[in-house]
Amino acid sequence: MKNILKAVLAGAMLATAMGGTAAMAKGKTIAVSWKTFQEERWKGDEATIKAAVEAAGDKYISADAQGSAQKQAADIEGLIAQKPDVIMVVAFDSDAILPSIKKISDAGIKSIAYDVQFEDPNALYITFDNVGVGRIMAKEILKAKPEGNYAFIKGDKGDPNATFLFQGQMEVLKAAMDAGKIKNVCETFTDGWKPDNAQKNMEQCLTSTKNKVDAVLSENDGMASGVVAALKAQGLAGQVPVSGQDGDLAAINRVALGTQTVSVWKDTAQLGKAAADAAVAMAEGTAIDKLPGVAKFNGGKKKVEMNSILLAPTPITKANIGDAIKAGHITKDQACAGVKDGVDACK
Amino acid sequence: MSIPSASSQNPALDNEGAVKRFFRATEIDTRMLGMIAALVLIWCIFDVWSGLHLHNNLVGEWFQGVISGSDGLLGGTFLTPRNIWTLLVQTSSIAVMASGMVLLIVMRQLDLSVGSMLSLVAVASGVLQVYQLGPSLGVGHPAIWLLAIALCLVLGTGIGAVNGTLTAYAKIPAFIVTLGGLIAYKGIAFYLASGETVAPMDQRFEVFGGGVQQSWLGPFWSWMLGLLVCAGIIFAIVNGRRQRRRFNFPLRPVWAEVFLGLMGSAIVLGLTNVMNSYPWPYNLIANYAKDHNVTIPPGVENRDGNAICMAGDQIVHCTNGLIYYTGYSLPVLVALGVGIVMSFIAARTSFGRYIYATGGNPEAAELSGINTKWLTVKVFALMGLLVGISSVISSARLNAATNALGASNELYVIAATVIGGTSLAGGVGTIYGAMLGALVMQSIISGMSLLNLPAAYQDIVVGGVLVLAVWLDQIYSRRVK
Amino acid sequence: MAKSVKKSPVKKPVARKAAKPAVIETHESPAVVKGAEPHAPTKANGTPLVEMKDISIAFGGIKAVDHASIDLYPGEVVGLLGHNGAGKSTLIKILSGAYKRDHGQIFVNGQEVTIANPRDAKAQGIETIYQTLALADNVDAAANLYLGRELKTPLGTLDDVAMEAETRKVMHRLNPNFRRFKEPVSKLSGGQRQSVAIARAIHFNARILIMDEPTAALGPQETAQVGELIKQLKAEGLGIFLISHDLHDVFDLSDRLVVMKNGKVVGTARTSDVTHDDVLGMIIAGKCPKGAIPGPGAMKQVA
Ligand SMILES: Nc1ncnc2c1ncn2[C@@H]1O[C@H](COP(=O)(O)OP(=O)(O)OP(=O)(O)O)[C@@H](O)[C@H]1O
Ligand SMILES: [Mg+2]
Repeated sequence: MKNILKAVLAGAMLATAMGGTAAMAKGKTIAVSWKTFQEERWKGDEATIKAAVEAAGDKYISADAQGSAQKQAADIEGLIAQKPDVIMVVAFDSDAILPSIKKISDAGIKSIAYDVQFEDPNALYITFDNVGVGRIMAKEILKAKPEGNYAFIKGDKGDPNATFLFQGQMEVLKAAMDAGKIKNVCETFTDGWKPDNAQKNMEQCLTSTKNKVDAVLSENDGMASGVVAALKAQGLAGQVPVSGQDGDLAAINRVALGTQTVSVWKDTAQLGKAAADAAVAMAEGTAIDKLPGVAKFNGGKKKVEMNSILLAPTPITKANIGDAIKAGHITKDQACAGVKDGVDACK
Repeated sequence: MSIPSASSQNPALDNEGAVKRFFRATEIDTRMLGMIAALVLIWCIFDVWSGLHLHNNLVGEWFQGVISGSDGLLGGTFLTPRNIWTLLVQTSSIAVMASGMVLLIVMRQLDLSVGSMLSLVAVASGVLQVYQLGPSLGVGHPAIWLLAIALCLVLGTGIGAVNGTLTAYAKIPAFIVTLGGLIAYKGIAFYLASGETVAPMDQRFEVFGGGVQQSWLGPFWSWMLGLLVCAGIIFAIVNGRRQRRRFNFPLRPVWAEVFLGLMGSAIVLGLTNVMNSYPWPYNLIANYAKDHNVTIPPGVENRDGNAICMAGDQIVHCTNGLIYYTGYSLPVLVALGVGIVMSFIAARTSFGRYIYATGGNPEAAELSGINTKWLTVKVFALMGLLVGISSVISSARLNAATNALGASNELYVIAATVIGGTSLAGGVGTIYGAMLGALVMQSIISGMSLLNLPAAYQDIVVGGVLVLAVWLDQIYSRRVK
Repeated sequence: MAKSVKKSPVKKPVARKAAKPAVIETHESPAVVKGAEPHAPTKANGTPLVEMKDISIAFGGIKAVDHASIDLYPGEVVGLLGHNGAGKSTLIKILSGAYKRDHGQIFVNGQEVTIANPRDAKAQGIETIYQTLALADNVDAAANLYLGRELKTPLGTLDDVAMEAETRKVMHRLNPNFRRFKEPVSKLSGGQRQSVAIARAIHFNARILIMDEPTAALGPQETAQVGELIKQLKAEGLGIFLISHDLHDVFDLSDRLVVMKNGKVVGTARTSDVTHDDVLGMIIAGKCPKGAIPGPGAMKQVA
């Protein structure tokens, strides 16, 4: 019994291996070292990249580090052994990964830092412009309320992104603040980015300012839902502009209803597609600095200058909700639930 | 040697001081008194502190503020009707769950899964409202909120019963069962809505969150309710006296009874008065007037006034004009109602008696013929039911359901219970203690947030208060013994 | 030898009884008397109130009770004696429903009964004062007394005042000095706690009372009072199992004695047929004297 099973398995493996060799002959090989598949989003990224690579006639191989820096180092050695043309890395630890990156370039293979930066001058860094998300939020809110009292509902204190976002917002608002047009009346971190904590913080902010809040910069959509609930209880929802990010379905609906001003949306499908396209081009021999959209970036910890592609996130506002619907991110019914008038996309 | 035995049998009443005699006669729980004192102290500190904050730390200006009485009781923003009102709403969800946790901990069990359970129940009811019933019955259909609430209560009770059954009949320690639940229920909550925030809730459902004017009782009914509760207190005192007379038991002195009645009524009416002093937010008054064709009286603008009036053809803030007050809000009423019912269950039913007896000595309870396993299932199910109620309050309040909604709530619920004097060794604990514990904790969190202090400080202080409370409690009980 | 004599006459009437309850009494009572006659004639009149037959229980390899049989008649006090760990408490805990036996049968008034938990035992009128007292320390005397069968008001709520009043009455009978009705029993003295446990057992019109060292913590006056109480209850027709290490008390109060050793019954005797030394011999060496019916635990050569 066992032997038969073994024979069948061996046959299947052989077939796969031969199939693999056949594919390799056709095109190039793109390898990806993922840091983990525990988080929902990476599976989505993988699907996009795999599809784009295979559409270009190339072969996709990958390894999952399961949230371990050691495993990722071993994974990369294994990938190098399969002689791919490009290795894309989602680093689990951006410092511990550097020796592995050196091994990649020593083997003459090109590398891409996907979404998580590691500072190697030979690699391509591709991500969304994170500081830019904060900037876009601030710009949209400033457009709606050029002066007045601003409240800042920041994310979890332990997450550096919360601070990056705030930095981006400050860059945009600095001039108006220095001119005294904008006043920072509340600024608070939110434990675990939790919406109900954001709601409580917003309530306390409204209490301490006696409702004299003119705009709220909430760092994501979940917290924006808490902020809007707090504003609604004071009859202020819809009058006070509120920001957010993530393109949550409920947030897009709030944008349509007018209780939230903007949700900055990082379409990871867009990121995956861009990375796959860059990888395919690099595998064909295009020099990194000749890729479309490449610019120099040195905003990392060690200020190493590297070539990078920074994608601009999309601000979803009342004006362009139709785009999100068209992109299939949200259905018209979901986006427009309860909307009475004034939004073109809902007509 | 005969002296100690004599005094233990016949407490020497004459040698007592006046204070001791007062507490003996009124049978007031001095522990609770201590907690109320701590609460008042915390409130005062925050009010003074926020007052100084408000006046840029200028003591002179702050003092003028206190005298003018335009701000909180002590010149700050904490002891204002608005903040107390908000504080109670913010406390209600944790307080409801804490009342159940007391009974579990009293019978030497524990439920670590309440936070995840809350997320799961809230997301399930959100999905039902928004994705299922909304499209099929039509958004706003009157059956939606009923079905959604029924789902919360049934699902909560069911999950609680599962926890209880695994603990009692499969004999897995509750710590393990509910630790597993803490992890697993969160996963189910994520799975149900793929991690999305589900919003907005049904409009009638939202009323249970206290954020919309339909959930405010208004001054008239608030006063009626307050008077009803006062009548209840007086009835309880009179009835207790009649009962004791029936068996010729020694009665409490009349002055003590009168004092208790007055004290209870004063607290109830005082709270009602505070609730009735919180005016509707400006915009809501204006909208209401517009929608219901209420004429807005003319007046002089005052930016700090809470009423609205017409200055020319402009609606403005002013001191005297059209004004409405909120009164009690629904989540607070639900929490108070739960508190009363749970206290009644704990003290006046055999179910409650069995819970305490089992906590005191599980073997004795079993030998007395109590089916302690079934009792365990029932108490866990009751905990689940209360989580269901809390999930209605929290998701209605946020007007959204997310899988992060209940995260780490278990810690706050257990902390509130312990701050409220429940012993982890079992057998000892009160419902009102736990609910006061929840209020103490929320007061600290809200107060620090009012002062714009970093969230890290809040964690440090709440953690410190938890340990301090248990330490003080131990000193207290050693003294009393 | 003795075993078969004792066993067969009892077994037959029981088998018959299950088939035809109406005929039992006439057939059974003479049979029992006959079997018991040679060594220790017991009360001839009536069915035994309780009969535990061939009971065994083991705790992880330790045979705590090993094929033990005992019986008890109305109005009779049976003293249960034995060294520490002999299995006395375990045997009576099987009767009170605290433990589930591995083997054996229990008859109450000649009818076989299932006792799977304390509720079943109480339903049969079996009340127990446990050696460990089994009190819920955190509630007061009245709550303990009525635990599991509280008095209710017409509305279904606890009638604490009525329970306290009743408790005052019972406690007065046992311990007239007792006043601390409002306090949790953890604050009471050992003897006061024991009084509460006794009060709980006698308060509910038991037919069968099990007392596992009821006077261990009591003072001389209270012990005497419990002795009076036992006599009084006996006069009322209750059957009582009394476990005690105090030979004086046992001789004073019981009609028959059963001695256990290592989980087995050494022998049964009428109190009047044996001396203190006889009984000590039974307890320590397992030697069954002339006046006693030897059990499975008796030393062989004596039987
Ligand atoms: N719950 C239990 N688990 C394991 N072993 C037990 C248990 N209860 C009793 N035993 C064992 O059974 C044996 C009989 O114990 P039991 O309590 O019946 O003795 P006893 O005759 O009442 O002694 P004492 O005079 O000390 O009260 C002992 O060896 C004891 O260790
Ligand atoms: Mg014993």
